[in-house]
Parts: sequence; structure tokens; C-alpha cells
Amino acid sequence: MDKAIELNAVDTTYEGEKIPCLKNITLHINKGEFIAVIGPNGAGKTTLLETINGLLESNRGEVKVLGKALRGDGNSIRKYVGYVPQDYSIDELTPFLVSDVVLMGRYGKIGLLKPITKKDKEIASNMMEYMGINNISKRPIGKLSGGQAQKVMIARALAKEPEIILMDEPFSNLDFEARREVSEKLIHFHKNKGMTFVIVIHDIASIPKSCNRVIVMDNGRIVADGNKEDILKPELLEMGYKGMVC
Amino acid sequence: MLELFSTKIILFAIIGAVLTGYTCSLMGTFVVRMNLSSLGFAMSHAAFAGAALGIFLRKDPLIFALLFSTFVSLALGPLADKAKLKTDVVIGVIFSLSMALGLLFLNLSPDTAMSSTAMSILWGSVLGMTTADIIYLLIITVIAILFVIMFFKEINAILFDRKLARSSGINDKPFYYLILLLTSLTVAFSLKLVGGLLVFALMINPTSSVYQFSYDMKKIILLSPIVGVISCLLGMLMSFSFDLPTGSAIAIVCSAIFGISVLISPKRRKG
Ligand SMILES: Nc1ncnc2c1ncn2[C@@H]1O[C@H](COP(=O)(O)OP(=O)(O)O)[C@@H](O)[C@H]1O
Ligand SMILES: [Mg+2]
Repeated sequence: MDKAIELNAVDTTYEGEKIPCLKNITLHINKGEFIAVIGPNGAGKTTLLETINGLLESNRGEVKVLGKALRGDGNSIRKYVGYVPQDYSIDELTPFLVSDVVLMGRYGKIGLLKPITKKDKEIASNMMEYMGINNISKRPIGKLSGGQAQKVMIARALAKEPEIILMDEPFSNLDFEARREVSEKLIHFHKNKGMTFVIVIHDIASIPKSCNRVIVMDNGRIVADGNKEDILKPELLEMGYKGMVC
Repeated sequence: MLELFSTKIILFAIIGAVLTGYTCSLMGTFVVRMNLSSLGFAMSHAAFAGAALGIFLRKDPLIFALLFSTFVSLALGPLADKAKLKTDVVIGVIFSLSMALGLLFLNLSPDTAMSSTAMSILWGSVLGMTTADIIYLLIITVIAILFVIMFFKEINAILFDRKLARSSGINDKPFYYLILLLTSLTVAFSLKLVGGLLVFALMINPTSSVYQFSYDMKKIILLSPIVGVISCLLGMLMSFSFDLPTGSAIAIVCSAIFGISVLISPKRRKG
């Protein structure tokens, strides 16, 4: 099967740090997989996602995304990789409207010196409708609740129509009802568009149903990787991962 | 008092004011949004020091202003980029150093005939606009406008959030440096009209005023330059009428506009 993401013996070290944050990570992800990444705070989940999309440069090993080695700026690959970051700096006065923020998700993909087309706007608008944020599309992004902002960021990442989507705790500000709702939508995308999903998730109960594989991280390493059913066995969870998933 | 000046001088002054106001405030929208204010401040004072050196050496002050402000933007840009820059430290160091150098150079220039030029790079002057100044201003204005139109997508995404822009496949670095470079050129070319000490006010105040009324970056980018132009024209009028240094008059007008904007801003209204 075609590989979407391939990490071979990868270390990632933050600038100014001596000890790598990701240690010797080998991880192969096939196209169309739906993967949940769990683990305690500071385990390296965010660092893993940003190593995959090249926002952080690995300093050992090899990172390949969609068959291409990630070297240099990585922008060409990021046009096909959506990202919902864990946190973003939006304050109350941020002068951008929701609809612009969602449309911006497509700007990299549209490319330099190419105009924004009607179709781009249509796709962005469809994504907003899909995420149920159509009614706030002309609101300033800084005036939203945490949950609404999170939906905007998901719509923004989906608007790019990426082949791979990386989400970093995308449900953290959503209430249970909204988690279920958004989860269903992601499942739909996974099924119909064949996107590859890698989702960092805090609350095991809200891992979407389509998830086929769970990766457990701790202290910069992958400590477990397997079928959802095998990894999320109640007794395993209780013994091994106690405190990891709080 | 107006009839004392020839139509050409007045026409040049008006065109110069429109172009300076437009470009300064356009670049100002980026400087404010990207938190580069301290860098802009440092650039404008470096430009002043450079111009003073030019006068001292009896060379074209503009060239030295350009060199100095560009040097500051390229030297401090990477530091500001990595957030390794304590902004108040930089302001302190660059501000005092460039003021010291600038005033020193001016003091060393023995030629009293130069003193009006010296005054104008400090405080600005409407009367000194030459054909060359107007052409330079026109070129930098056209470049700035083309830059914004051609790269609107990239600039807009970067202004929202650089990391998010990068995550969507936009190469943000070249744009960051282009913005810095254009800002330093704008500062240097605006020196003639506004003066090195106050050009910074013209970058920051109009944008900050428009910020009080809009949450839409597109509108802010469109409207800030217009407020900049109005500030320059009103300031110039004030300078003509009351015989004030042009830069001071422009700074007073755009500060007043900012003050009023804050007072009536819907963003600050409670409830
Ligand atoms: N910018 C940074 N510089 C240095 N260390 C960092 C930085 N960001 C994160 N770390 C460290 O890297 C480790 C992993 O962080 P992270 O990937 O954010 O964990 P998680 O997302 O699993 O909570 C933590 O120990 C954290 O302190
Ligand atoms: Mg994290």
C-alpha cells in the first residue's frame, strides 16, 4: 500500500536544547489510515505532528511525506497537508473575519500570483456550512468562543482539501455534543475523500469510530502502536497508561 | 502667505504629501500588525543619522538615509524574527546611538547654508520637494502597492499568523524580509517631507486609528493609507498656515486623529 507518512529513526531537537524531544521515531502510515495519537502532556505529540509537516526540522533520520523527502522549506509538501494546531494566537482584537481565515487555508495551495477563484470561495463556504459556522462567517475571529474558533480552524484545514490532515487536540474546547458532531464529520471526510488522518487526542472516549490505529507516546518515544482494540483494552489502559490520558 | 510660493512648489508639496502619507501608512499596517513597531522606530532614527552623515560629507543625504535604514532592517530583522530581540533594549540603544550620531554629524557640518537641509531632515519640510524626490516617492509607492496587490494572499495569511501561513504551504520568510526592506525604503524616502524624528508617527498613527473601527484586515489595508494621506495634507496645510515644521504638524494631526479614534472607537465601548 502507498505510504502517506514515513519516519525512519527520526530525532527532533528544539533549538537551544541538548536532548532531542523526539527520540528515534520510526513510524509508517499508509494512505487512508485514521490514527489517534495519545500520551501524557509533554510526551512529544505536538512535536511529532510538526516534524511530519516540516514546521520543525528533524536533525536525524528521514521524514518522507507522500513519497517525498521533507527537506528544506517543506512548503511544497505542506500544500497537501492540513494542520489544526493545538494553540494559535488569536486575541479579542485580531482583525480578521471568520470567512477570510477559512479561505486562507487555501492560499498556499492556490499558489503565488494565482488569483482566488469563485471555486476557492465556494469550497471555503461549503466547509463553513459543513462545520456549522456559516452563521458566524462575518464575525471577527477574536470574538468567538474557544469551541467556535476550533471549528473555524478545522474548516480552514479542510478547505485546503489536503491529502493528509494533522490535528492537534482539535476537540479540546468542544463540549461533548460538539465532539460527537465534529467527529461524525471527520469520519465522513475520511470515508468519502480518502484523507489520511492523524489526530492527537486527549480524551480517549472521543476518538472517532473510524480510527483504526492508536499510537501511544511517552517521553519522546512511541511506546505502543497497534489496533485500536488492542491498545485501548480496558485492563491495558488501567495498568500501563494510567495518568497518561487524563 | 500661500501666494509667496510658486504653484510648482505647492503642487510638489501636495503630491509629496499624498505619496508619503499613502506609502508610510500602508507599510504601517504591516508594521503594526506584525509587532515590528520598535524595528520601524529604529529604522526611522537610523535614516535620520544617515541623512545627517550625508550632509556632513556633503553628499546626497537620501543615499545615506537609505543605507542606514536598510542596514538596520536587515541587521535587526533576523533577531526580531526569532523573538530574540528585547524590543525596549533595541529602542534604547538604536535611538540614543542614532540621535547622538545624527546630531554630532549635523554639528560638525560647518556650512551654515546647510542648516535648512539639516532642519528639514529633523523636522521635515514641504518646500524642499524636488522633482527627483517626487519620482522616488512615486516609484516606492507604486512598488508598495504592486507588492500588496500581487501578493495579497500571502501577505494576508502572514498578517493573520505566520506559523499558520507556513503550515498551509506559504513561504513566509521572503515576505517578512520584503516587508522590512520596503519599510526601510519608505522611511528613507519620507524623510524629506516628515523628517526623521516623526516619520514613525505617520506609520503607526493612521493604522492604529483605523484599527479602532474595523475587524477586517482588508479594510484596514485599504483605509489606513487614506487616513495617512489626509493626515499629511492637513498637516501640510497647518504647516503652511502657521509656519510650523511640516513633520511636527503632520505628527500632531495624525496623533489627534488617533486620539479621537480611541475616544469614539466602538471596540472600546462597554456592553
Ligand atoms: N519550543 C520549545 N523549546 C524547547 N522545548 C520544547 C518546546 N516546545 C516543546 N518543548 C518540549 O518538548 C516536549 C514535548 O512537547 P510537546 O510535543 O508539546 O508535547 P505534547 O504535545 O505531547 O504535550 C516537552 O518536554 C516540552 O517541554
Ligand atoms: Mg501538544
